[in-house]
Amino acid sequence: MKKILNGNEAFAYGALAAGVDFYAGYPITPSTDVYEFFEKYGDEFGVKFVHASSEVSAANMIMGASIAGARALTVTSGCGFSLMQEAISYMAADFVPCVILNVMREGAGLGDIPRSQGDYNQMTKGGGNGDYQAIVLAASSAKDCMNLPKVAYELSEKYRNPVIVTYDSDIAHTKENVEVLERVNNDIDKLEYTLKGNETGKPKLVQNIYYHDHNYDETLKNKYELIEQNEQRYSEYDTLDAEIVFVAFSICARICVEVVKVARAKGIKVGLIVPITLYPFPKKAFENLKKCKKIVVVELNILKQMRRDVEYFTKQKYEYYSISSMSTCPTVLDVMNFIEEIR
Amino acid sequence: MYDLLCAGCGHRTAMMLLDDIIREKNLKEKVILALDVACCSLLIDYVDYDSIMCAHGRVLDVTKGYKEMRRENVVISYMGDGAAYSIGIEEMVHAARRNDDVFAIVINNGLYSMTGGQVAPTYVDVAYSGRENGINSSADDYYKEKGFKIEDIIGKFSIKYLARAALTDKENIDIAKKYISTALNKYVNVGGFNLVELLSPCPTNYKMTPKDTVNMINDKLSKVYQIGEFING
Ligand code: SF4
Repeated sequence: MKKILNGNEAFAYGALAAGVDFYAGYPITPSTDVYEFFEKYGDEFGVKFVHASSEVSAANMIMGASIAGARALTVTSGCGFSLMQEAISYMAADFVPCVILNVMREGAGLGDIPRSQGDYNQMTKGGGNGDYQAIVLAASSAKDCMNLPKVAYELSEKYRNPVIVTYDSDIAHTKENVEVLERVNNDIDKLEYTLKGNETGKPKLVQNIYYHDHNYDETLKNKYELIEQNEQRYSEYDTLDAEIVFVAFSICARICVEVVKVARAKGIKVGLIVPITLYPFPKKAFENLKKCKKIVVVELNILKQMRRDVEYFTKQKYEYYSISSMSTCPTVLDVMNFIEEIR
Repeated sequence: MYDLLCAGCGHRTAMMLLDDIIREKNLKEKVILALDVACCSLLIDYVDYDSIMCAHGRVLDVTKGYKEMRRENVVISYMGDGAAYSIGIEEMVHAARRNDDVFAIVINNGLYSMTGGQVAPTYVDVAYSGRENGINSSADDYYKEKGFKIEDIIGKFSIKYLARAALTDKENIDIAKKYISTALNKYVNVGGFNLVELLSPCPTNYKMTPKDTVNMINDKLSKVYQIGEFING
């Protein structure tokens, strides 16, 4: 069945289809639609909804639910996401899966609610204390919002690691026609590492003091190596013969898809790479570029946060350009003019 | 096994009592032990329950998430006073306000013990004679004599059980066992929020012998922190 849904609503349906059975959250714009969805419909779909007293609590509650075998979810934005870093760091250290949606806000501190991609560094470089990474999936359409929760839960359980799904407020609040996936129920007994009470004589421990154990070092290294090898995801648009390749996610990706069409119609060889995993960074996407000379990173933050990754992972072998601003999204025309300048 | 807890530590007594009660009630296979950090977390090596080491002050959040998914399990929410009443007081207040299904044990020894004995909100100089014993407390009235009484904070909420006992001599430890047992019975049979606070010796940081610690708690500390059942609903 198709429905007209905004990104947040699509994400909520996508989470239901992924088997979510526990939601704890605290309202914050521009993510609140998801909170309201579960507050309103949680009972109907068998999702336990808890209004946590803070984002700190919400994230620690999903840790508890996940340890019990739930597909647990919390959803937040900006400063709320910062408050969750404690629990995210713990879950990464303790091999507890979870999914967190961060609908990005503009700026640092309180910031504001317009579109932005300023949390790129925080999400892709750990964000909390210590030596860890969360897997980060970026949505660029309501369809992605519908489909990514399932991918997120599968990855989080496979690697026993937190997964963050993210998009900006344009994707959150733009309504699109999207195929709604069916509700699926999660089996809380399916994972062998779930704590159920010591029935076997050997207790299961969720703990942070494995650091005394040499194997822990190796286990962690292996986990991140496997993620980086196996889980790079991206979409490509006309990259094979492209001389100028754009890199963009979320709303900027949508603009660039149009740019590729317009540019190609004019005979300009432009391509686009849309990272779906922001971590692991999809460096494989760049290995297929045959004719590329210039890379343009379009992003909504002033520090050119993603461009730094693009330069690093492509070993600085191209000419790099940025279209970046805190929250002003370029139009197709702006980008076309930019192409004319750099050609 | 190498003993991680200091001689005369109240954590050992508390855990032995809990373990006795759990075995008497045949609940071992249902127990999930949710521990706070620092000296509390050492207990993970003393018992063979499925256990979770939570972030500091977040035991009741983790408990909430777990218990909502597995209602048949018995979650022991085990915390120190710094966790329960300082960094985790928000979690405590809202878990009590919601009357969450909670079986909580709070170890009140007045100090952040593992970090070397800095004062917790529960600290009272009239009992610990801190300055003589090298503990630095502020001049604040609450640290001097008033302390931080959980019954004043969550006593008006519709919770099921709230009591305080002292882990000192046989008489007091028997009372502690009775309170813990009552709280556990209510938690298993009725649900709702049940908390037992235990005045607990930390001889290492009080810089007293275990025996002097016990006397101090019986003679002075229990005059500030009243022993008894405050709510038994
Ligand atoms: S420092 Fe105090 S609380 Fe910690 S183990 Fe020693 S006696 Fe017990």
